[in-house]
Amino acid sequence: MMACRFEPDAIRAAASGEWTSSLRTHVASCADCAAAAEVGPWMEEFARVDDREHILPDPAVIWLQAKLTQSNVIMQRAALPITRLQIASYLAVAACWASLLTWKWSAVQAWVASLTPSRMVMASASAQATASLSVSFFALVVVLSSATVFVAMHTILAEE
Amino acid sequence: MVAEGILIAPPFVAARAATAGRMPNQPMDEARFEAFYRKMAGKIWSYIYRMTGDSSAADDLMQKTFFRFLRSNPVIADDDHLRRYVYKTATNLVFDHFREAKRDRAVAIEMPQSDFRADRGELRHDMARVFGELKPQERALLWLAHVEGSSHEEIAEALGVKAKSIKVMLFRARKRLGALLSKKGLAP
Repeated sequence: MMACRFEPDAIRAAASGEWTSSLRTHVASCADCAAAAEVGPWMEEFARVDDREHILPDPAVIWLQAKLTQSNVIMQRAALPITRLQIASYLAVAACWASLLTWKWSAVQAWVASLTPSRMVMASASAQATASLSVSFFALVVVLSSATVFVAMHTILAEE
Repeated sequence: MVAEGILIAPPFVAARAATAGRMPNQPMDEARFEAFYRKMAGKIWSYIYRMTGDSSAADDLMQKTFFRFLRSNPVIADDDHLRRYVYKTATNLVFDHFREAKRDRAVAIEMPQSDFRADRGELRHDMARVFGELKPQERALLWLAHVEGSSHEEIAEALGVKAKSIKVMLFRARKRLGALLSKKGLAP
């Protein structure tokens, strides 16, 4: 549905008070024009009444900020696979730690318990071997510790 | 789109299609943006300010409008398409602003009266108060139709409604404003 083509004339006539008879007849029969004529002059006056004084930001600033925001968005988009990889690495390392400790939990508990001074003295006095863990376990611990440090360092350096 | 709530359809597809063969589709450069900004910024600020009644919100939303405009990588189509897109973006941002205010409930939903102080002139104060009593959509309709001289299609695009609904919506908004003006004794 289009606006009535007499609407602008009706608004102008309502504002100036200069009505032609044909326009007056039309407005009497056209609800849209009557409504437009009723509020049109008021709206024009409202638009003319000056806004509070304001200084608009410099377009160069807007341009620069928009470009910076745009670059940030592009960077975030580009960094998304890296972030996902980092999360996957953290999860993998945590899973490895959990698996290792679950697998060797009883041996680790025995080994930790054997580290008390009294047990150590007793063990040395009786020339009895303390509870021990395999070399491969310690090798795995070293590997996992290195992986944890590597992932953490990667995150810190990437953020910087 | 980054954390601003609403999604806007790719803006210049129509413009690209409309201008194909007429004008090269170059991305907007800074000089061109500056010219467009200088032409539009004041109008957009006034529009947002009349809609919200809050000058700091108007400043903020106007900047966001132009950020979004630039983020959409506008091509040099005809100014009319760019103008329509800017009004549509500004309208969406204003409506989002009202929605957020409603959600927060800490911010007044209606136009804050403090910005329209009586010492700035009784007339302005009264006019702003009357306009503030309208719904945001009615304000947008009346402003775009009467002040910007937008067509029904342009208003529909800005408000995201069907063009054929505008005639009825505009009629109702005018009647409501007319009734308010009569009630306040401001009718012509």
